[in-house]
Amino acid sequence: MLKRWLVFGLAVVLVLGAGAPVPAQSQAPVKIGVIQPLSGAVAASGNYIRMGAEIARDWINAKGGVNGRKVELVIEDNKSDPKEAASAAEKLIVRDKVPAIMGAWGSSMTLAAMPKLEEYGVPMVVETSSAATITKRGNPWIFRISPPSEMEALGLEPYVSKLGVKKADFLAVNTDWGRGAVTAFGDVLKKKGESVGVVEYMDQAATDMSAQLTKIKGSGGDTLFVTTAVEQITLILKQAQEQRVTRKIITTGGSSSPTQLIKQAGAAAEGSYHIVFFMPWFPEAMPDGKLAKAFVDEWAKRGHPFEGLTEGFRGHDGIATIAEAVRLAGKDEPKAVRDALWKVNISGVNGPIKFEKDGPAGKESGQSKPSIFIVQVRDGKVALPTFK
Amino acid sequence: MRARLPSTSLLVALAVVALTAPFWLTNPYWLHVLIMGGIFAVLALSLNLLLGYTGQLSLGHAAFFGIGAYASALTTLKLERSAWEGLALAALLAGLAGWAIGRLALKLRGAYFVLVTISFAGVISLVSVNWMELTNGPLGLPGIPAPELGPWSFRTKRAYYYLVLAAVALSYLVCRRLVGSRIGRAFLALRENEALAESVGIDVTRYLVLAAVISAAMAGVAGGLYAHYTRFVSPEVFLFTYTVTMVIMVVAGGKGTLAGPIVGALLFTALPEALREVTSWQWQMLTYGLILVLLVFFLPRGIVPTLSRLRKSP
Amino acid sequence: MEALLQHLVNGLVLGGTYALLGIGLTLIFGLMNVVNFAHGEFYTLGAYTAFATLALLGLPFLAAIPAAIVVGIVLGALCERVLLRPLRGESIDSVMLVMIGLWIAMQNAELLGWGGVAKSVPHPFPTKPLVVGPLGIAPLRLFVFVTAIALIVGAQLVIHRTKLGRAMRATFQDADTAALMGVRIGRIHTATFALGSGLAAAAGALLGPIFLVYPSMGDLASLKAFSVVILGGLGNVAGATFGGLLLGVVEELGAGYISSGYRDAVGFVIIILVLLLRPSGLFARTERIG
Repeated sequence: MLKRWLVFGLAVVLVLGAGAPVPAQSQAPVKIGVIQPLSGAVAASGNYIRMGAEIARDWINAKGGVNGRKVELVIEDNKSDPKEAASAAEKLIVRDKVPAIMGAWGSSMTLAAMPKLEEYGVPMVVETSSAATITKRGNPWIFRISPPSEMEALGLEPYVSKLGVKKADFLAVNTDWGRGAVTAFGDVLKKKGESVGVVEYMDQAATDMSAQLTKIKGSGGDTLFVTTAVEQITLILKQAQEQRVTRKIITTGGSSSPTQLIKQAGAAAEGSYHIVFFMPWFPEAMPDGKLAKAFVDEWAKRGHPFEGLTEGFRGHDGIATIAEAVRLAGKDEPKAVRDALWKVNISGVNGPIKFEKDGPAGKESGQSKPSIFIVQVRDGKVALPTFK
Repeated sequence: MRARLPSTSLLVALAVVALTAPFWLTNPYWLHVLIMGGIFAVLALSLNLLLGYTGQLSLGHAAFFGIGAYASALTTLKLERSAWEGLALAALLAGLAGWAIGRLALKLRGAYFVLVTISFAGVISLVSVNWMELTNGPLGLPGIPAPELGPWSFRTKRAYYYLVLAAVALSYLVCRRLVGSRIGRAFLALRENEALAESVGIDVTRYLVLAAVISAAMAGVAGGLYAHYTRFVSPEVFLFTYTVTMVIMVVAGGKGTLAGPIVGALLFTALPEALREVTSWQWQMLTYGLILVLLVFFLPRGIVPTLSRLRKSP
Repeated sequence: MEALLQHLVNGLVLGGTYALLGIGLTLIFGLMNVVNFAHGEFYTLGAYTAFATLALLGLPFLAAIPAAIVVGIVLGALCERVLLRPLRGESIDSVMLVMIGLWIAMQNAELLGWGGVAKSVPHPFPTKPLVVGPLGIAPLRLFVFVTAIALIVGAQLVIHRTKLGRAMRATFQDADTAALMGVRIGRIHTATFALGSGLAAAAGALLGPIFLVYPSMGDLASLKAFSVVILGGLGNVAGATFGGLLLGVVEELGAGYISSGYRDAVGFVIIILVLLLRPSGLFARTERIG
């Protein structure tokens, strides 16, 4: 008897899934789709982005919404899996009928969702992914506000001699992001006449990097570039200290959350440099100081962890961009929103957001030029580097 | 114990429903779910050959799936051949890998075989991530073309649905013929009592290897179908979660039956998507885990065997 | 030479915890024939318990390990009674499926409860490494190694010197005869699962302060535990001990001298090789079961 009820229950769940369509109303909210890794290995980052997106939504709605309509976020979890990212995109586009999406965090998740964008003609604002191919594939529905690794490396170029980098080693996570960073930064170094020493990778889930660090120790380099998520950076800093690897450490990618590093790595973080795209410690120094400070304050008011700010701002900027495009388009229709995205010219928490053409002619994607900053951990606090 | 065959009228009804689905399913999202469900059905049927019929649990099946996906993707991208050749190569290479595993199984049974298959999948996974020249590593292979047949392209969902439906039907028929034949009976003898089977002259190793090859080749084809549908493969196809999902589909659907894996595949493809609708993202995976536990508790034999027993009981 | 010795030291420290994980699983897998995919989740549970004990409750550092062990034992016993006992007699894959469901449920419950942000477990040890000649070892790691060995010895004592241990060994060798001799098989199974889970939790509490605590930390741990079980031979506690240490060292050497990208492949390759060449494990003297 119980068995029958279980089968019945499952059937009910599926029926619920088929769902009744929502009737369209003129005052219906503007829905914006959000695809992020909310479970799985990188759940922390995905959740920070979500928190930032929610702040943007609430601010917009407090000011009256977009074209008189409230903004509603439809949030889907891509479970850190590209297949799920594609399914989430399909669901958002087809069932929720969103005019635009923000996502999908990791480059392979974004790449997996991209065919759906072309299939249905819906634009997506990419807020974190760094792989160059995303904007070079000729997908005219992609608009990226995060910097590809090449752009980030160019942002470092003016500081190479000031930092005194002569021979650098690389320790990167074995994903498209890590590999892309190694190539991009390596190229910039070589352009400036410096050399690249040892290049080591580690698995995303690895916790023990002592083998790699031992090799790096023996390389004779003066700088170590580290590209990975904040948890692994913490472990690397601690293990580097244990193994007495004493050299300048520069983290790239913007997700290094120096505050968290100080908290968890303690003295091991001292002296390290970090390339970030948002400086929540000195919001007034950001291009739009007022907005940045307001964001930091709101984040704190909601009780979100301070460490998350270095990633969470992306969620805000992505939603702000889409909302502005809907406003310019005058309606929440995907193609109109896409065309309007080219006209967007606003100030986000990171700085100005304006898209330039990127990729093969006729099918360009949009790429904005985000601001890039470098900070240092000194005396247990985050500070601007002294040479600046 | 012969495989229970559903009644003819039921089969006809199902066929009609399946063939006309793209026309009455107005929402392309559900067509997407059916396509993914179909691909997993082929996978589940392949795993069922090993698990349900020979009694060997392969937890590395994602390896065959992934090998097939990459083989087909690379054939169309790098070798610039048609998707059909890609699918054929997928079956071939995956089958070859299956042969290797089958030979390994010569010495091992039960838990040890399980662990070898896990390890095999683990090694292949790491190779796909690290061997940049071949697989493009973590960056993956985007832009895989859809299959074409003369002037028709299978790009549209509707067309792809029929392709996958054909694959599922073909897989089902292959399995049914295999199970009903002498080979199938040998599988069952192997599963029930290996020592006894050997003593009556059944060449156990030969049949195990055969089962492994066919099973792997089918999984490889499923991988190829996946690659040409999602148009993007990355090392995540080797994730353990894919294997876990397959196992769930087979065991919950009913291993050792032919309809079970198909039912399991459809159910467990639809379930996570249904959970997207019904629960907010925080609770989805937790609910999924709990449903799984409940399912095993209440339907330990799997859905299809339980249903047919209910049907038979007065 | 200096690098080699450093690799060896690192490998041994890691290996001690692998041994703990392996011993727990070899008991469960060997005695109960349960493919325990949730083993890594008890490891994670132990780590979170340590975090809660030290960071939230502010108890002294030495309270963390016993707390984790107790939590592991209690939850393990509970899981066995509620999930595994009713399924006794079902096929190995039904049980495995339940363990998979438990794995998914536990990990996502942790994600829900603690959030995805990695937690840092405070410890009182200085961060400057102890330097012995050319080798450096962090005091915390030394503590972990010593404690791991102590726990392993403790487990061995339980298995070889107590009545419970004797009953466990008897059940392992021949359950039917043991039952005839008056051993309560049900109780033994509960105790075994509880003990195994407690050891896994201890490993988590030990490694938590070295690494970080986050919900998916148990996935890799499960797989490594399975490697150790194979290396040492199913049900062989001493084998699991040496197997764990060996795995730690071989992984370190492999990552150091061959390639760091393939580091985790080492465990897999070991499994394949051992099973091909010596299926009963490197250290087994008894017949292979199953």
